Amino acid sequence: MIDKRLFKLPKAKIMLPMLAGLMFLQAFAILGQGIFLARAIVGSWKRQSFANIAEDVLTFLIFYLLRQGINWFQKWYMNRYANQTTALLRQQLLNKTYNGGIALVSRIGTGNLVSTLLDGMDEISNYLSLIFPKLIALAIVPWVILIYIFTLNALSGWILLLVFPLLILFMIILGTAAQSKASKQYAGYIKLQNHFVDALRGLSTLKVLGLAKKYGNIVYKNSENYRKKTMGVLRVAILSTFTLDFFTTLSIAMIAMFLGIGLINGNLILYPSLVILILSPEYFLPIRDFGNDFHATLNGKNALGQIFDILVFPTTPQENQLSSFTWNKDSVFIANNVSFNYSHIDQDHFSINKNAKMSAVVKKEQASTDKTHTADELRNVNLNLTGFQKVGIIGPTGAGKTTLMRILAGFLTPHLKEDNFTINGQNLAQLNQKNWQNQITYIPQDPFMFATSIKENLTFYNPNASQKEIDTALKATDLNNFVASLKDGLNTRIGENGRGISGGQKQRIALARAFLAKDRKILFFDEPTAHLDIETEYELKEPMKKLMENHLVFFTTHRLHWLNDMDWCLVIENGEIVEQGTPSDLAKNGTLFKKLTQPLKEDLL
Amino acid sequence: MMNKKFSWKHEHWVKPYLAKYKWNFLLAIFLGIVMFFCGGALMFYAGYTIDKAATRPENILMIYVPIVLMRAVGIGRPLFRYLERLVSHNWILRVTSSLRRRLFYIAEKNTSAVGSAFQTGSILSLLTDDIGHLQNLYLRTIFPAILSYLVGFIVIILIGLFSWPLAGIIAILLIMELILVPFFSLLKQASVRSKEKKEKAQLYTEFTDQVLGAGDWKISGRKDAFFDQTKTTLKSLGKHEKKSGKFDWARDFVLEFIFGLMAVAILYFTNKNLTYNQEAANYVGAVVLALFPLSDAFIPVGQGIEEWHTYSDSVKHLNELTVPENHLPHQEYLDPVFAGTLKATDISFTYPGEDYPIIQNFSLTLKRGQKAALIGPSGAGKSTILQLILGDLKPNTGTVTLDKINVLSLQKERSKLFSVLNQEPFLFNTTIYENLKMANPDATADQMMEILEKVQLADFINSLPKKLNTEVAEAGARFSGGQKERLALARVLLQDTPIVLLDEPTVGLDPLTEQKLLNLVFDVLKKKTVVWVTHHLQGVKYMNEVLFFKDGKVTMQGNPYELFEHNEHFHQLYLMDQGLI
Repeated sequence: MIDKRLFKLPKAKIMLPMLAGLMFLQAFAILGQGIFLARAIVGSWKRQSFANIAEDVLTFLIFYLLRQGINWFQKWYMNRYANQTTALLRQQLLNKTYNGGIALVSRIGTGNLVSTLLDGMDEISNYLSLIFPKLIALAIVPWVILIYIFTLNALSGWILLLVFPLLILFMIILGTAAQSKASKQYAGYIKLQNHFVDALRGLSTLKVLGLAKKYGNIVYKNSENYRKKTMGVLRVAILSTFTLDFFTTLSIAMIAMFLGIGLINGNLILYPSLVILILSPEYFLPIRDFGNDFHATLNGKNALGQIFDILVFPTTPQENQLSSFTWNKDSVFIANNVSFNYSHIDQDHFSINKNAKMSAVVKKEQASTDKTHTADELRNVNLNLTGFQKVGIIGPTGAGKTTLMRILAGFLTPHLKEDNFTINGQNLAQLNQKNWQNQITYIPQDPFMFATSIKENLTFYNPNASQKEIDTALKATDLNNFVASLKDGLNTRIGENGRGISGGQKQRIALARAFLAKDRKILFFDEPTAHLDIETEYELKEPMKKLMENHLVFFTTHRLHWLNDMDWCLVIENGEIVEQGTPSDLAKNGTLFKKLTQPLKEDLL
Repeated sequence: MMNKKFSWKHEHWVKPYLAKYKWNFLLAIFLGIVMFFCGGALMFYAGYTIDKAATRPENILMIYVPIVLMRAVGIGRPLFRYLERLVSHNWILRVTSSLRRRLFYIAEKNTSAVGSAFQTGSILSLLTDDIGHLQNLYLRTIFPAILSYLVGFIVIILIGLFSWPLAGIIAILLIMELILVPFFSLLKQASVRSKEKKEKAQLYTEFTDQVLGAGDWKISGRKDAFFDQTKTTLKSLGKHEKKSGKFDWARDFVLEFIFGLMAVAILYFTNKNLTYNQEAANYVGAVVLALFPLSDAFIPVGQGIEEWHTYSDSVKHLNELTVPENHLPHQEYLDPVFAGTLKATDISFTYPGEDYPIIQNFSLTLKRGQKAALIGPSGAGKSTILQLILGDLKPNTGTVTLDKINVLSLQKERSKLFSVLNQEPFLFNTTIYENLKMANPDATADQMMEILEKVQLADFINSLPKKLNTEVAEAGARFSGGQKERLALARVLLQDTPIVLLDEPTVGLDPLTEQKLLNLVFDVLKKKTVVWVTHHLQGVKYMNEVLFFKDGKVTMQGNPYELFEHNEHFHQLYLMDQGLI
C-alpha cells in the first residue's frame, strides 16, 4: 500500500521523529480539549454559574487552539519538507534528462516526462505532505486516547479496541470486492471512458462518413453507460467509507449506552463518562482521515513510483576519456564490431499503471503514443572513416538507421567493450564523450525550436557569435529575407507560444545553427528533408551542400538524390550493415541497394 | 475575444446544468442535510443519555427513548452519507454526459473533414481537462457551499427556537465562517493564484524545451544553461506557492478559531439559559456536543470556494467557445452515380482575422475520373483547398461546383459524393468490422473481405485470431503505418463515392512502402475523380494535372508529362526527386 522507497527519501529521518513529536503533542491537546469541555459541561449540568465554569471553558478553548495551532505548524512544516523533496527529485530528474538525453526521452515519452516534471511534482508534493502526517497520526493519536480511556473505564476501552481490527477487516474485504468488481470490467470501462476522446479525435473521419451529427447522441449514450458502470463500482467502493462511518457511530452509540447503564447503576460518575464520549469520535478521526485522503493522493503515489522508476533508468554521464581534438581531413574514425540493444530496459515500467486513478489514464495513454519508433537492435557495426567523408545511410523503416546515428552521436551506449571505437588511434568503449560531442551538430527530421528568439535559436551552439557571423549564416541559408520581413527581426520569438514557422524555415534555422557552430566538424543529418515539399527541398539543397563541405557527415535519408552527394553509403537492414561502399559501386553490385532503389525507377514518367 | 469580461449573468456552462438536473441535485442536498442532522443528533442523544443517566433515574426505561433514537441516527448518519455520495456522483456524471454531448456538437461544428484545430492533441486534452474542472467545480465548490449554507441556516433556526441571542451570535459567526472569510480569501488569493498559473504555463514551456531539446542540450555542452533554463521560474513559483500556502493555513486556523468561538458561545448560553432546572440542564451536554460533528460541513467551505481559482479558466474557456455561423443554401440532390465535373472557379479565401488570403484565384476543372495533385510547402493552403472543395469552408469569391451545383448545396448528400483519405487515418477504438461498417452500414462481411482483398489486407486480417472482429486497439500494435492507411483506403472504397480527396496519405512512409501504396491507391481509384495533396513527385505519373503552390498562388500547373518536356524547373525538380541528379 505504501512504497517502501518513500522512507528512503532524504531527510525522512529528521522529518519522521519531528512529526511523531507533533502528533504526541496534538494527542495531548485533544485530551486536554476533551477533558475541559467535559468539565465545563458537568459544571453546567450541576447548574453552577458561568463564573464557576469560565476557567474550564477558557482552558478548553486554549487546548482547542493549541490543537489547531499544531495543525497549522504541521502543515507549514510538511509543506516545506515536501517542497524540498520535490525540488530535489526534480533536480535529479533533470539531471537524468540531461544525461539520458534522447535515449531517455524517447523511451519515456516527452509528454510523460514534461507532465511528470510539472503536474507530477505537484501531486507528489501533495502526497508527501498528506501521507506522512496521516500515517503518523494514525500510529499515535488513537492509542494515546485509548490508553487514557482505559484509565477511565475499561469497558469503553475494550469496545474501542475491539472495533478497530474489525473495522480494518471489513475495509479490506470491501476494498478487495470493489477492486475486483472494478478490474473485472476494467477494459470495457476504459473503453467507455475514452470514448469521448476517441470521438473527438475521430471527428474528421466521422464528418467524412456523414456520421458526425448523429454521433453526439452516441457520445451521450456511451457517457451514460459509463455513468451506470461507474455507479456500479462506486456502490461497492463507497461501502468502505460506509463501514468506517458505521462502526464509528455504532461504537459511540454503544459506549453511550453502556455509560448510561453504568451511570444509572451508580458504577460511574458523569465527568469521566462525558470525557469518554467526547474522546470516542477523536479516536476514530485519524483512520477516517487516512481513508479519505488515501484516494485523493493516489495520483501522487503513482507519480512518485514513476519517478523512482525513471531515476533507475540506466544512463551514462558524459565522459572525458577522449583527448581534445578537432576533426580534420586526416582524422580517422573506426567502429569495431559495435552492437546494441534496448532489451535491458524494462519498458513496462513506463507504461500505464493499471492502479492509477481512472481519470489519469487518458492522458498517460496519449503521452505514450509519441514514443518514436526505433529499431531495438543493432549488430556488428564496422566502419572505417577518414577525414571529411560524407556517409549516406539508407534502409527500410525500422532497420536501425536512427539507432546507429544515435550511437555514433553518443546518445546511446552500445554493449561495452574497450575498443568499440577508435578515434585517431585512441580506443573508446562509447562515444558519450565531451570532446566528441563538442564536434557534433545533429539535425533531425523535425529540428526542435526552443521557445525563445530566433537569434538565441541560431546561436544555440555558439552563444557568442557576432552579428556578422549571424548575417553570413542567414544569407547562406536564405533566411535573410524571411528575418527581414518580420517586425521584430531576429528577436521574434518562435517555438512554443511563439510565432509558428513552417517545416522548411525550421530546417533552415537548424542549418544556420550548424553554420554558426564553426568549431563543430561532424554533422549528423537524420532524414532532414523527409517532411519537406519538393520545392523547399530543392531550395535547401545548395545551402546543405555548402554546409557539408569540410565536415564529416552522417546522413540518413529515404530521398535517394542525396546519395549523389555522398562518397560512402551504408545499407542497413534488420539492425545490420549489410552493404557498404561508394554509391556508384553499390548501384552496380549492391543487392539490397538495388532492391531499395529499383522500384522507384519504375515510377518514371 | 480572450479579453472579454467574464460575467456570471451570461454564463452558460455551469448554471444551466444546475437547473437541468435540479431534482437530482436537490435530492443530494437533502440527503446531505439529513446526514449532518444525524451526525449532530447522534452526539445530542448520546450527550443527553448520559446526562440523564447521571441523574440516576428510577429505571433504565427513562433513557430508553434517547438510546433508541441514538441508534437510529447512528445508523442514519453513515447510511445517508453513503446515499448522498452516490446521488451526488450520479448527478455529476449525468451532468458530464450532457456536457460531453454539447462539447461534441460544438467541436463538430468547428471541425472540418480534413485537418483542423480540434484534432490537435493539446486542444483536445484542454477540453477534457475543462470537463474535469467543471466536475470538480460542482462537486468540490458549489455542492459543499450550498449544503453548508442550508445546514447553517437550519442550525440558526433550531437555536432560534430556544434562544434568540444565541441564534444571533451563531448567525454572525456563521456568516464570518461561511461567507466573509471564504470570499475574502477568494479575493485576496486571486492575484497570487493568477501569477502561479502564469508561472506554471511558463514552466511547461521551459520543461518542454529541456525535454524535447535534450539531444541539443547534451551535445551543446551547455550544462549550466540547461539547468538555468527553469531556475528563475521555479524560484518565483516556489515563492508564490509558499505565500498562497501560508495564507491558506492561516485562513484554516481562523475558520477553526471561529468554530471554537461558536462552541464557547454555546457553552455560555446553555449555562445561562438551560440550568433553570435539572431536566433542562440534562440538555446542556447534548446541545454542546451536537455542534462538533457540524465542523465537517463548515470548515471545508473556505477551501472549496477558493478552489474557484483552479476552475475559473475552464469556465471562461468553455464560455468563450463559439459555433461558427454557417448558413447553407437550399440543399439539392445529386445522384452519385451520375456525378460528373468537379469545378473550382476563381476561388479566393482569407481566414477570418488574417490579413492575407491563403488562396488566391484558384481554378481547377476535373471531369469524372480525372486526377490532380496539389504540391507545396506546409501552410501554403493545400488543405484549405480540400476544405473548400468539400464545402467545409465557404470561399470569399468564386465557387466550387459539382455538375454546376454549388457544393454548398450538396452538404446533405456529401458523404455519398466525397470521401477522404487522411494523413493519419483515424481508426475508432472498436473492431475492424465496426470500423468498416461505419463507412457503409449495408456492407456485409463478405463484401468487406472482398474490399480488403483489393487493398491487400485480407491475408493479414485472416491471420488475426478473431479476424474481422479483432479490436483495433489490440491489432494497433501490429498495424504498420502502411496497413493503417490501407484499412482507411478500404473504408474509402466501401463508402464508394465518385470523388476521393487524398490528404498526404503517404507522409512518413518509406519510399518503397509509399510507392506500393500509391500504386494500389491509384489502381483501385482508377474510375474516381481524385484531388491529391502531396509534397513530392512520387506517383505524379497517375495525374492528369499537377499544381504547385506558394503563398496562396499557383506557381506552376499542367499535365506532368507535358511539364517534364517543356518546363525546365519541373524537369529539374523531377530529376532530383527521382534521384537522377
